[in-house]
Amino acid sequence: MSRTRKFMIILMVLLAMTGLAFAQAKKVTIVVMPKLIGIPYFNASEVGAKKAGEDLGINVIYTGPTTADAAEQVRMLEDFISKGVDAICVAPNDPAALTPVLKKAKAAGIVVLDWDTPADKSIVDLSVHQIDDVVYGQHCWDLLVKEMGDSGDYAILTGGLSAANLNGWIDAGLSYAKTKYPKLHLVTDKVPTDEKQQVAYQKALDLIKAYPNLKGIIGISTPTPIGAAQAVQEKGLKNKIAVVGTALPTDSRPYLEDGSLRVVTLWDPSKLGYLTVVLANDLLKGKKPVNGQEIANVGKITVKADGKTVIMGPPTDFTKENAKNFAF
Amino acid sequence: MKSNTDKKTLARLQSKEAVLLFIFIGVFVLMSVLSPTTFLTWRNLQSMAFQLPELGIFAIAMMVVIVSGGMNLSITYTAALSSIIGGLVLSKMTAAGIGPGPTILAGIATFFVVGLACGALNGVIVADIGIAPMLATLGTSTLFEGICLNITKGGAISGFPDAFLWFGNATILGVPFPMIVFVVVVAAAYFLMERSPFGFKIYMIGCNPTVTSYSGVNVKKNLHRVYLFSALLCAIAGILMSSRYNSAKESYGSSYMMQSISAAVLGGTDISGGYGRIFGTVLAVMIIQVISSGLNILGVNRFIINVIMGGILILVLTINFISSGRKANAK
Repeated sequence: MSRTRKFMIILMVLLAMTGLAFAQAKKVTIVVMPKLIGIPYFNASEVGAKKAGEDLGINVIYTGPTTADAAEQVRMLEDFISKGVDAICVAPNDPAALTPVLKKAKAAGIVVLDWDTPADKSIVDLSVHQIDDVVYGQHCWDLLVKEMGDSGDYAILTGGLSAANLNGWIDAGLSYAKTKYPKLHLVTDKVPTDEKQQVAYQKALDLIKAYPNLKGIIGISTPTPIGAAQAVQEKGLKNKIAVVGTALPTDSRPYLEDGSLRVVTLWDPSKLGYLTVVLANDLLKGKKPVNGQEIANVGKITVKADGKTVIMGPPTDFTKENAKNFAF
Repeated sequence: MKSNTDKKTLARLQSKEAVLLFIFIGVFVLMSVLSPTTFLTWRNLQSMAFQLPELGIFAIAMMVVIVSGGMNLSITYTAALSSIIGGLVLSKMTAAGIGPGPTILAGIATFFVVGLACGALNGVIVADIGIAPMLATLGTSTLFEGICLNITKGGAISGFPDAFLWFGNATILGVPFPMIVFVVVVAAAYFLMERSPFGFKIYMIGCNPTVTSYSGVNVKKNLHRVYLFSALLCAIAGILMSSRYNSAKESYGSSYMMQSISAAVLGGTDISGGYGRIFGTVLAVMIIQVISSGLNILGVNRFIINVIMGGILILVLTINFISSGRKANAK
């Protein structure tokens, strides 16, 4: 009896709080979902996305799974569809896995964008790319050749084998290298590293051991070049093996400075987050992006002929000299 | 007569399951109050009903094995392996231009065959060879993961017939189809475990396999069956997942591994075997779902959600431990 009474009292107190929750005003809400939270790259894009939310006076929810799991993204997106948000911008861990849930979102009248990594093209209203995949892939291989010369053994470490953007760059780079740098020799298939620095470090050690003539390592995905540089530094091979790749300047700075990492290239992820929110908000107002449009705090964007692929701009190279000038 | 029923009700209310029921109602009311316009809506209830069955089925697959005094660490990779081989059948037959009807039939048959084969292997290693279940299934889970990765090379298998997406995404009179599957699974598991001679033997084996064996029960045969049953449930979960995610990949559902143990234990299952109620496990899964969705809707950081889940698990285990200690003292 007393247990029931206690329970009723708690229930009543809770119901009394309901009024407070009702009082919240309705604002435009945009969900920005990265592949996972808690890694420097996606922390940087969070800063940009939140900043855009403040600048535009809208509500930006930046959240994602704690591991790069597509299934977890689906579950979280389902919750947001029931919550009834206005736009969803997602960086899919696996494009096919998100197709059903994104269809559901569209059916519920939610504007759907992808950013960082493309989702199923037929579903999204807008696809925000940081970079032109082909240009970027070729740029990575150019950097590698600049550091190791245009002949010799090299290997590729990648974040994950099913990440569409990483594969896009690698494929572009490989086909470019075939014609432009025929004397480059790839020792083995691209090696996956689970988007983890520790795994990249291990795999790089394995590669160094297995291929004694290795002259270069390309690390694709942000933790990867740093893990590889760590391995090269530990083995004292920084003059023999050139590590290049895609990484954040602050993370790579110690390795850039001692030469175990030669050069890394990337875009500013906070700008990407900012751009994504701005474009989503424009779309909600019925404004489509146009080629050459100037976005405040980001710069000029390119819109491809299909009218829904947006490209932020050319990559920035980070070296020993300039890495300290960047805050991400 | 009447006082007798009252006593029974009272005893039932003090059980582990009653504690869970109160916690469930508590968190449900709490979430409804915290976000009344979004949590307590038909759409959200429906979306939770879409999400819950996967963990629910895995939790039951885990629980039945724990009750038998074992442990099945291979549940998610059993589901993944059956999804990947079943998915291969689905996508290859679709690509070959075979109609959706025979493709889906063959695909689903493959899910079950592969799942049951995984279960049979677990059964052989645990019951016949006699390796400790936790080690045996740790080994098979690594084995299944390895086979998955060799087939997919880390990518996802997609290109299923559109009709296959129906299983994970359709609703019947507003009720998600996965939920209907889950209800059927719960009912079947309930009758099998708590109302049939087979279930009774499993509980006995979980309490003491030697004594059970001396009372004339074929322990090996029943252990085989429980691992097969567990694997069958994993194959069902695999079908729902690959349909809901429109693809098959080794990592789908890997986060369910520890969650399903948590759900079974939270549901009152004795980790050393011999006790566990289907109803308790279902309640535990519902609690986890409500907390996860509710906090997600509130915009709580995912890391903090993990912290809260862990806290609740420890809290409930503590309550159960203290109350069972009291009961023992009273005796």
